[in-house]
Amino acid sequence: MSESNGNVVTASEVARRYGEGDAAVDALAGITTGFERGRFTAIMGPSGSGKSTLMHILAGLDKPTAGTVHIEDVEITKLDDAALTKLRRDKLGFIFQFFNLLPVLTAEENLVLPLSIAGRKPDQAWVDQLVRTVGLEDRRTHRPSELSGGQQQRVAVARALISKPAVVFADEPTGNLDSKASADVLRLLRQAVDEFDQTVVMVTHDPDAAAHADRLITLRDGHIVHDAVPGSTADVIELMKQID
Amino acid sequence: MARFAIKSLWARKVRALTTTLAVVIGVAFVAGTYILTDTTFAAFDEIFEDSLAKTDVVITAKEEVRQETGETPSFKATVLPKVRQVDGVRVAVGQIFTVGAFFDAKNEQIGTKFAPKFITSNIPESLETQTYVEGRKPRDAKEAALDQGAAEEAGLGVGDTLKLASVERVAAYRIVGLTKLGEASWGGASIAGLILPEAQRITDKRGEFDQVLIAASGGVSEETLKRRVQQKVADPSLLIETAEENAKRNSDQIHEDLGFLRIALLVFAFVALFVGAFLIFNTFSITVAQRIKEFGMLRTLGAGRGQILGSVVVEALAIGILGALLGLAGGYAIAVGLNALFVAVGIDLPTTALVTKTRTIVIALLIGIGITLISSFIPALRATRVPPIAALLALELPQSRRRGVVLAVLAVLLGLVGLGMVAVGLFGGADGGSAAGLIGGGAVAVLLGVSLFSPRLVRPLASLTGRPLERLRRLTGRLARENTQRNPARTAVTAAALMIGLAVVAFVTVFAAGIKGSIATAVDESFQGELVLQNSDGFSPISPRAASLARKIPGVELVSTMRVAQAELLDGGGTERVSALDRDAGAVIDIDWSEGGSQTLRDLNDDEVIVDKSFASSNGVDVGDEASFLTQIGAKPRLRIVGKYEDKAELLGGAIVTQRLMATAFDQRDDTIDFVKLAPGASAEKIQAALIKSMDREFPVVEVRNQQELKENQEEQINQLLGLIYALLALAVIVSLFGIANTLALSIHERTRELGMLRAIGMSRSQARTMIRYEAVITALIGALLGMVIGVIFAALIAQPLKDEGFTLSYPVLQLVLMLIFAAFAGILAAIPPSIRASRLDVLEALHYE
Repeated sequence: MSESNGNVVTASEVARRYGEGDAAVDALAGITTGFERGRFTAIMGPSGSGKSTLMHILAGLDKPTAGTVHIEDVEITKLDDAALTKLRRDKLGFIFQFFNLLPVLTAEENLVLPLSIAGRKPDQAWVDQLVRTVGLEDRRTHRPSELSGGQQQRVAVARALISKPAVVFADEPTGNLDSKASADVLRLLRQAVDEFDQTVVMVTHDPDAAAHADRLITLRDGHIVHDAVPGSTADVIELMKQID
Repeated sequence: MARFAIKSLWARKVRALTTTLAVVIGVAFVAGTYILTDTTFAAFDEIFEDSLAKTDVVITAKEEVRQETGETPSFKATVLPKVRQVDGVRVAVGQIFTVGAFFDAKNEQIGTKFAPKFITSNIPESLETQTYVEGRKPRDAKEAALDQGAAEEAGLGVGDTLKLASVERVAAYRIVGLTKLGEASWGGASIAGLILPEAQRITDKRGEFDQVLIAASGGVSEETLKRRVQQKVADPSLLIETAEENAKRNSDQIHEDLGFLRIALLVFAFVALFVGAFLIFNTFSITVAQRIKEFGMLRTLGAGRGQILGSVVVEALAIGILGALLGLAGGYAIAVGLNALFVAVGIDLPTTALVTKTRTIVIALLIGIGITLISSFIPALRATRVPPIAALLALELPQSRRRGVVLAVLAVLLGLVGLGMVAVGLFGGADGGSAAGLIGGGAVAVLLGVSLFSPRLVRPLASLTGRPLERLRRLTGRLARENTQRNPARTAVTAAALMIGLAVVAFVTVFAAGIKGSIATAVDESFQGELVLQNSDGFSPISPRAASLARKIPGVELVSTMRVAQAELLDGGGTERVSALDRDAGAVIDIDWSEGGSQTLRDLNDDEVIVDKSFASSNGVDVGDEASFLTQIGAKPRLRIVGKYEDKAELLGGAIVTQRLMATAFDQRDDTIDFVKLAPGASAEKIQAALIKSMDREFPVVEVRNQQELKENQEEQINQLLGLIYALLALAVIVSLFGIANTLALSIHERTRELGMLRAIGMSRSQARTMIRYEAVITALIGALLGMVIGVIFAALIAQPLKDEGFTLSYPVLQLVLMLIFAAFAGILAAIPPSIRASRLDVLEALHYE
């Protein structure tokens, strides 16, 4: 159940029920799966399939009504707020749909924000490498309002990688970008996995985004209905049609 | 639309509540002031009316010029037989009613410091309105009655010893009865009764009365009786009034004396209201900005500008009405609290059942509703400018650059106009009332100007105050500072609210320090003598025999006396303090002569006067001229001016005359202060101890003070006043803290998603709390800094014209630094609710919040 089988994140029998009695809705109906180190996984599914709920629970943002989630060797479903905070600092990286940069900080300050919050000194070589990777060498001291949407999201990607987390969770990272900017962000995520051996879990409804992943999990009504290599964009679109 | 407004208000009830509280506190302060002062006046009226309930006509001595001590002169008892001959007089009796001092068996003073204690003589049942709660009337010269309130306060009862002292004498009595008059409480005042001959003896008024009380026979009206008595007595030095007139005159006098109290309290209430207006303005500005989409949506649905305006105004109206009503109710608590505060500093005024006049209700409602409507009007107008498209786009309210420039120009203009008003008030030679009005109005204009300009100051000030925090807590400090700089206008208005309160606090602190320093300097420079004898209250007269007694103590070289009376300069001059010095006063006090010298004082004749420089210039007289004074007994001495001095210690007053003239024309034979000079080599300590011992026996009201104690005594009084002012300003400061809490809560609301992101990438709860707390601290420090600068500048300005009178400003740096620290802590306090809210945000919800 841990790294011995190569999984960074492990979910077993994870269920999430909203409401009670007759009005109860099962968003997740007992999901068991694992995410291997150095793999890029996309999670898809129609609205209400439970894909966001699954990611929130995997990331410790929400608690399951049943089942457990382990990140590396830690069972996160039992952690209190302080322990979760520490977990986020050490093990998790986040990328959101809306770029969620702090408008008051510069690009570089936003990039190192997780380390600043944790009170750690950033490794300047790593920072420089990330800045180069995301292609923002000449934008370091710009504030978010002076950056394009794509540039902002690239900062967010770099920020998620700065602490070299065990896993990066991306919630619709291209949902608010044009196709060129989307492509840049996806290339970056791919690069993180290939070059830095990062583990990335991404929720998306964009078949093109899913096609960049190593593995595609598809959910419907709280169940995993498909779990395989995504193939091309066209394959993904075909798959989604079948599921809908 | 109105229903929509109320509903949207209800949806944001917590914010509405804090906004309402700002109105409540200000209104409660105003209402409380009126309730308390009305109650005090009513209590006085009740006491005056009750005590004359069975009397129809009163005779008192006419007092031409009111004295500082509040004592009225007595008159010859020979008038009484004449009165008794008047047809229609059922009963007439002479009474002693004079201020004294009360002690218990251990020579401890009874009663509060600033409240009068009256020694009175018995009057017959037919006129008496006091009732005996316990015991009976005094029957011989060894017995006394004491009012129940004072007895309870001092822990005395029937059978205990009560010592009464007048200027000349002191004697011990056995308490045989406890009295009560009407329902009103006397506050700190007390009254003791003696048999008439003993009352006359102890007060040194043998063969004299303070008043004659007359009751009419059946069928004779007060007016008729008054006319008949006037005809019979025919003495212009006496005032013959109906009981009603007498009570009314006394009551008018009290209204005049205590009128300043109401005005002073209203000034503090106004400060709290002013601060509240800032809070309301800010809250409405922020909520309007946050509801742009909502207003845009309403516009797309066809709502007109008027309707948008109406919906915001109705919200304000609801808050105003609720705040005014709650404030009115809170006024009772404030009235009780203010009274307790006064009692704590020794001002124990009479009270009765709390009085609520219709006027109080009307003013409270008008002010509460008015201030809310006025402060919310500009935000409401801004809401009407929201275009329908705002429903679809994330629009900011249009903030044109031109508007910023217009505001800055307006701010500078307001500041200049304000400073101009202050300058005219200070140097324009306007009289007291209008000068105060000009200075006050100018101060308001300057404060408004600075508030308008302050958005431009937020950036540098936040950097300045935020730097230490950034050093302390790198990231959270940095973020806190950046957050306060995000919306400078909002931070500025929030800080401005605290600025107002702290400007007044700083002004008062600096000014009081100046007064204390100046008194100390004046005492050091003016008093050559080592010791002084004074009444323990600092202003009432003491017996001239105290000086004689002191002269007998070995080691005392010289005792020089000073007597004081109030007199009016004829031909348009005001009431002035006139003093009379011993010829050898030059040896004990250092007079700052402009013209003349110690010889002038030694050679002063009874038809000559030495005047204060500013008195001379303000009345257009100079050495060589003649000046006529009207004294309390109606004498009009015409005096030649032979010298001029500068009265730096506020000791001598406007003029110096001879002690003989003081006795004959001003009717003052008692000393106000005796200066004691010691023989070379004598021990001041030993002599002070000897003086205290001999005074205690004969004149327990006389206090022996050395220079240091004299200064301390003055300082203590100023500190007490300062404490009172701080307490009154506390309400305004509390309102501004609500303002900080409110603004923070609103901006956290705006930053929900951002906070969620910060938490998601590893910010701990305590870091979130710290960040918000520092935002509050930075905002508070900006307000405090601005306020302190304005307060200090104002103190320096207002000290300018006082320089001639020996007032030198000193800057209490330590206190000012403490004020900054206090402001920082106040910020932390204000940040408690919003920071808790920020740290408890659910990360997931916050991330999806829109």
